Amino acid sequence: MSPVSRRPRVALVVASFLVLLSTASASAQESVPSPSPDAGIPEPDAGADAGSAEEAPPGLTPEELAEIEKAFGGDTQSGVPATTSAPPTATPGGGLPLSIPGSGSGTNLLDMSFILDLAAAAFTSKEPLQGGAHDPSRNGFNLQQLELSIGSVVDPYFRFDANIVYSQFGVEIEEAYGTTLALPASLQVRAGQFLTRFGRLNPTHPHAWDFADQPFALSRVFGGEGNRGLGVELSWLTPLPWFVELTGSLTDATGEATARSFLAASNDRVLSPLDLQATGVVKQFFPLTDDLSLMWGLSVATGPNPTGYRNRTDLYGTDVYLRYRPITEASTTLVTFQVETFYRRRQVPKDVLTDFNGYAQAAWRFSQRWAAAARYELGTPARGENGEVAEDPLDPEWTKNRDRISANVSFWPTEFSRLRLQAARDHARWRDEADYSVFLALELVTGAHGAHAF
Amino acid sequence: MRQFRFVAALCAALSLLIAVPARAAVNVVTTLPDLAALTKAVGGDLVQVQSMALGSQDPHRVDAKPSLALALRNADLLISVGLDLEIGWLPNLQTGSRNPRIQVGNAGFLNASQFVRLLEVPATKVDRSEGDVHPGGNPHYLYDPRQAAAVARGIAERLAQLDSKNAGTYRANATRFVTELDAARAGWEQRLAGLKGVPVIAFHRTTPYLADWLGFEPIAFLEPKPGIPPNPSHVAQVLVQSRQRKVRMVLIESYYNDREAKMVANMIPAQLVVLHGGTDFRAGETYIQHINEMVGNLEKALTAGKGG
Repeated sequence: MSPVSRRPRVALVVASFLVLLSTASASAQESVPSPSPDAGIPEPDAGADAGSAEEAPPGLTPEELAEIEKAFGGDTQSGVPATTSAPPTATPGGGLPLSIPGSGSGTNLLDMSFILDLAAAAFTSKEPLQGGAHDPSRNGFNLQQLELSIGSVVDPYFRFDANIVYSQFGVEIEEAYGTTLALPASLQVRAGQFLTRFGRLNPTHPHAWDFADQPFALSRVFGGEGNRGLGVELSWLTPLPWFVELTGSLTDATGEATARSFLAASNDRVLSPLDLQATGVVKQFFPLTDDLSLMWGLSVATGPNPTGYRNRTDLYGTDVYLRYRPITEASTTLVTFQVETFYRRRQVPKDVLTDFNGYAQAAWRFSQRWAAAARYELGTPARGENGEVAEDPLDPEWTKNRDRISANVSFWPTEFSRLRLQAARDHARWRDEADYSVFLALELVTGAHGAHAF
Repeated sequence: MRQFRFVAALCAALSLLIAVPARAAVNVVTTLPDLAALTKAVGGDLVQVQSMALGSQDPHRVDAKPSLALALRNADLLISVGLDLEIGWLPNLQTGSRNPRIQVGNAGFLNASQFVRLLEVPATKVDRSEGDVHPGGNPHYLYDPRQAAAVARGIAERLAQLDSKNAGTYRANATRFVTELDAARAGWEQRLAGLKGVPVIAFHRTTPYLADWLGFEPIAFLEPKPGIPPNPSHVAQVLVQSRQRKVRMVLIESYYNDREAKMVANMIPAQLVVLHGGTDFRAGETYIQHINEMVGNLEKALTAGKGG
């Protein structure tokens, strides 16, 4: 009984609230031109009186008001219908004359999208060496992830973005952060939990990857979820004539599947600022021609590791991304080449361990729907100060080189879905023989799919 | 003395840096070159205009190059087509620009679609089973000079708001531009009067505004649904339909591969008309020149169709 009787009451409250709101906004428009610039968001009723809304200036000096009034008069005098208030003439095209409330672009307050990644996988090895948390990692079907992305401008000063990842048996806040929009001097701050901007691939999500799994360098150095943490980041777009962005962040050096080279899941806690992970990145972009661009990044991270008092880990990385995409002619061609290397240095009791990981990949989209890609990865064992192979506290079995070659073919029915067939040969030299794997991955994107960074 | 010289040199360098952007009153960045051309027509020497995409580029698929964020960093005004046309690339650039002026909701961001009498606004709930649909309406409105005139006036108003000192000039420029455009439009309409009621087919759904203006009838599209590449059975169907209706023209934007369109045009047979995706703003082309070229192409196809 009660839910039935409650519903009309709720409706009544909502309706009266809406009426209140609309009368308030109407009276506001009548008395003074609305102080908020409409800034191109067509209000649901913008079609009806966009003319007046569009006249509203942000500052309200009398001169400006007078000028606007003059202009408004001028428009009607000239006989040319101003803006959208143009009376719809006959429409031979048969189109609908006006937008319907609520459906206009820009009226949605929250951009939401769901992204599903599934894969069928087959491995020759009983214990595949897949390290990424979203990698297909066992024979049979794998739910790589279900990602819920939510993003919106909060107010004139902040935007908010979150990526919540659902695995088969749990939910995880992968990212949830605010980004400033109005700091002076080309500065920007992000605060919350975010993927640190170390290198090229780490700050991205699986649906932006050219492969169904992440390079083992990321899971080995950063952890299954890559490098992310709760913290704060400051970035600066320098005033140089080409794109140079400096980014520095401080994040927690702890986490279950992240900060692996730092405190990770150990019991150590942050006691001083020195116990945080500090990351610094320089990104430079060179538009070589209209069709060809180059991005180059240098990254450094440092933080404590749990092997002893004040033992630290330092990471150095560089990434190069070359992108060829003809835009001066009709073409769907896209060729990308990408290299990332990671050099890691860890203080452990009585030794300093160093190792190297990296990958190089090339992808070629040869038609609107088809692309092929290949990737080579290499990881060395940890070596001590004298150059001899040392026992790695994180990967004790990693005593020799490991390399992996992967290749795949992707098919996009539309830009919102993707099928990918990928095969790999994973040669960990400490194992008797090479492992092989095949994935068939399906990706579905629904909702307001957010833009991708370059 | 040496110190003084250093300070003087520093001052000179600084004033140089400051003086460069001061040449034009308003620094405008537009997403598409047509909008840049309209802004230039209205703003003249008072504005410095830059387009993020080229006319040869598919506006749905522009790379969010960091150099574009750099351009936006110093912009006083960002003008977009809106209706989700730039959804795949613009929001990131806006955030990355670190420029509060051009964020959605501020005076430095102008969504030009608010000035347009929109077509193809879905009246019912839409989903992507219909392809890459735009729930706010069809965004390809700048093919219709009447809509462009309204947009030019809208841009002039916003420039007047941002640079009130020169408001009169912007409005006068807009009026002059619209008069010029109207005059040209009368000529174009006369030249293309024969297009009225003519059945045509097109590659992508970019035609409703053009059809609304010129009165031709787009009876089918080579893309089975917006954003879905042509497939044989659909193309065959379109071909049959085209022959039944005696289609005389196949329209395609220059940024699409014209392989299928060419083939279909040959098989109907009909004239293939390539419409340049946008004004070649970088080469100094104006919006009127751009539409004039398009009209020329359509006219050529119309007369050739009659002769053949």
